[in-house]
Amino acid sequence: MANGKSVLITGCGIISAIGNGKSEVLDALLSNRTGIGPLKYLKTSHKEFPVGEVKMSDSEMESLMGIEPGTPVTRTALMGMVAMHEALADAHLDRCDLNRVAFINGTTVGGMDKSEQYYTDFIENDSRNEYIKTHDCGSCSEMIADRFGRFKYITTISTACSSAANAIELGADMIRSGEADIVVAGGTECITKFHLNGFNSLMILDHGQCRPFDAERAGLNLGEGAAYLVLESKESAERRGVEILAQLSGYGNACDAFHQTASSPDGEGAFLAMSKALADAGLKPSDIDYINAHGTGTPNNDLSESQAMKRLFGQELPPISSTKSLTGHTTSASGSVEAVICIFALRNGFVPVNYAWANPMDDGIIPNMELKPAGRLRHVLCNSFGFGGNDSSLVLTLTDKTL
Amino acid sequence: MTQKKSIKVVSVKQISIQQPLSEEWMDSPLTYQDDYVKAIDPDFRQFISAGDARRMGKLLKRALATSLSALKDGGIENPDAIITGTGFGSVENTELFLDAMVREGEQMLKPTQFMQSTHNTASSLIGIHTRCHGYNSTYTQKGLSFDSALYDAWLQFRLGKIGSALVGGHDEMTPVFAGFMRKAGHVKEGEICSEAAVSVLLTDRTDVPALCTLEGLILLNDPEPGELAAAIHSVTGGQVPSAIMTGISGNNENDSRYGFLKELFNGTPILRYKHLFGVNFSSSAIGFYAAACCLKKGEVPACLTADGIPVKTDGGILIVNAVEGRHYSISLLKPICGEL
Repeated sequence: MANGKSVLITGCGIISAIGNGKSEVLDALLSNRTGIGPLKYLKTSHKEFPVGEVKMSDSEMESLMGIEPGTPVTRTALMGMVAMHEALADAHLDRCDLNRVAFINGTTVGGMDKSEQYYTDFIENDSRNEYIKTHDCGSCSEMIADRFGRFKYITTISTACSSAANAIELGADMIRSGEADIVVAGGTECITKFHLNGFNSLMILDHGQCRPFDAERAGLNLGEGAAYLVLESKESAERRGVEILAQLSGYGNACDAFHQTASSPDGEGAFLAMSKALADAGLKPSDIDYINAHGTGTPNNDLSESQAMKRLFGQELPPISSTKSLTGHTTSASGSVEAVICIFALRNGFVPVNYAWANPMDDGIIPNMELKPAGRLRHVLCNSFGFGGNDSSLVLTLTDKTL
Repeated sequence: MTQKKSIKVVSVKQISIQQPLSEEWMDSPLTYQDDYVKAIDPDFRQFISAGDARRMGKLLKRALATSLSALKDGGIENPDAIITGTGFGSVENTELFLDAMVREGEQMLKPTQFMQSTHNTASSLIGIHTRCHGYNSTYTQKGLSFDSALYDAWLQFRLGKIGSALVGGHDEMTPVFAGFMRKAGHVKEGEICSEAAVSVLLTDRTDVPALCTLEGLILLNDPEPGELAAAIHSVTGGQVPSAIMTGISGNNENDSRYGFLKELFNGTPILRYKHLFGVNFSSSAIGFYAAACCLKKGEVPACLTADGIPVKTDGGILIVNAVEGRHYSISLLKPICGEL
């Protein structure tokens, strides 16, 4: 270990376009089934863009979570509750345990789904004031937490598409420094008209199924979802006798310091984030058995990320795929959604497929296209890069105890 | 864990409803009768070219000005970490984009407004401007946003991951969002809804002159009274500070959350700053800033004390921030002893 105590993963929960819960998501990955399709739940005039929506309405999620109809709650918070519920159960944590557990949540749109719906009421009358209270990102984390009990510390990270990865990093630092024994960390984000239009104004949405790392790629498909990891110190996990799913053996955060929305041509921030994560884990590039790439499908990201991976790994690239081709880009949740996918890859010994790829890019990487057992994976790298050059990488490792 | 080194506050800068980038307020504070007051901006040309400034919202300009000013003052060009707290982010651009989308439909929306609407634009802009490729993050937890950012820096110093950090608290306000702050109860009766931009430069290097040291920091959600007392004891080591900086604002509901301090500390002066700086999600950054200014001066000015009598700061200042009766932040700043 580079510093501090080891950080174990003792539970996880997920909801995304390819399924509600771990078993559905794993099944979709093993069947190479995309969740991207025509818009169903979001009310927008941009019906032309395919998306990776969670296949449940708000009211279906409310009823799943036992929330009284009419209670002010946002879609981002609802998805967060579904993922939190599974993560806590997975780690055998109940209400009375939570007063020693911290919750670090990543989100950027927060309650924007309701704000864009009720904006005129917000200004003109008092009929929707309860939804003004749910607008900010912090209230989203509080809503999720309060459903389950009293967490000892709650905060929210908002670094756009790397929010969940950075939440996991802070959680891990809390465990390494001895500030917490158990931290639930990850992210949640629903699709909103606000950021669908924002990404459209930047002209980075593909009108068809997205094709990360393909020469013909034309942008990303927005996705939505939530996922949380339960991070735990070794002492606490041993004391509680819980199963260890994997270890978070290293992580790195770096700033591209290039542009507010574009990545640098040489992928400096991505290169630094991956290098820091490997150094932190005490590993060399050849130790990595799989990279779950950020791979959004935009011309800019995939070229920049390819350069960064080639700089770090040289000619000996491990298998690489972007699972955003299956889930869509779950933005602030992507870091934890993809970390859960990496845990599946480690524990089930397979490399997820980069769906819909066909043509090699000039100077790009060739992603994994064949779903076959990969044998034993030991270390995998998971990339999350956000607007503003907020780049983060996680190294997840199968520990001997998890075999 | 690495060896425990002392974390020092090297410089603090603010733009608020008091005189910008200045400590003039300590002797001659501005007072307001309005319930919504915009910040007083400095001349940004000394920090940003006119061309760049035109493309930036107010929050970004202020964040850059306080950051560059703090870095220059502290003599550190490239901090190892840039961490920002913001409760609402760039509401000016968020509102422009949202308003256009709701009123005029989903066509012809401006990418620059969207780009500036995300919360992490301040941290990333500072990274771009200073060419800092190091750790970069952004926190948003209502009135605990700055404290959350400070806590991240604190952890990383403790783990020996960084030797310097630029920590900010930045919130701007539009008339529309000021209305939302009232409707949601984030700003209460008798409180001024305001704006704040604060940058704090920290280091654990021993060769840098500093204003004070950050001795402890604990953040809690919904604590029992006993847990609060224990956290304060853990931060102070049982010693009584010279004064306690609080978010007391004159609103009874808000002020009642600091009532427990009178029971814990009999007779220790309880300080306030919100009557001078107003209330916004980055208010606690102002509280930290004001406490650091007092320690630099060695004295709390009359304008911050309840009885109008200045207080010496030899025993340090405990800072308590209570957010909506559930989130608490407790930190301790102490004077630099014996050196400098």
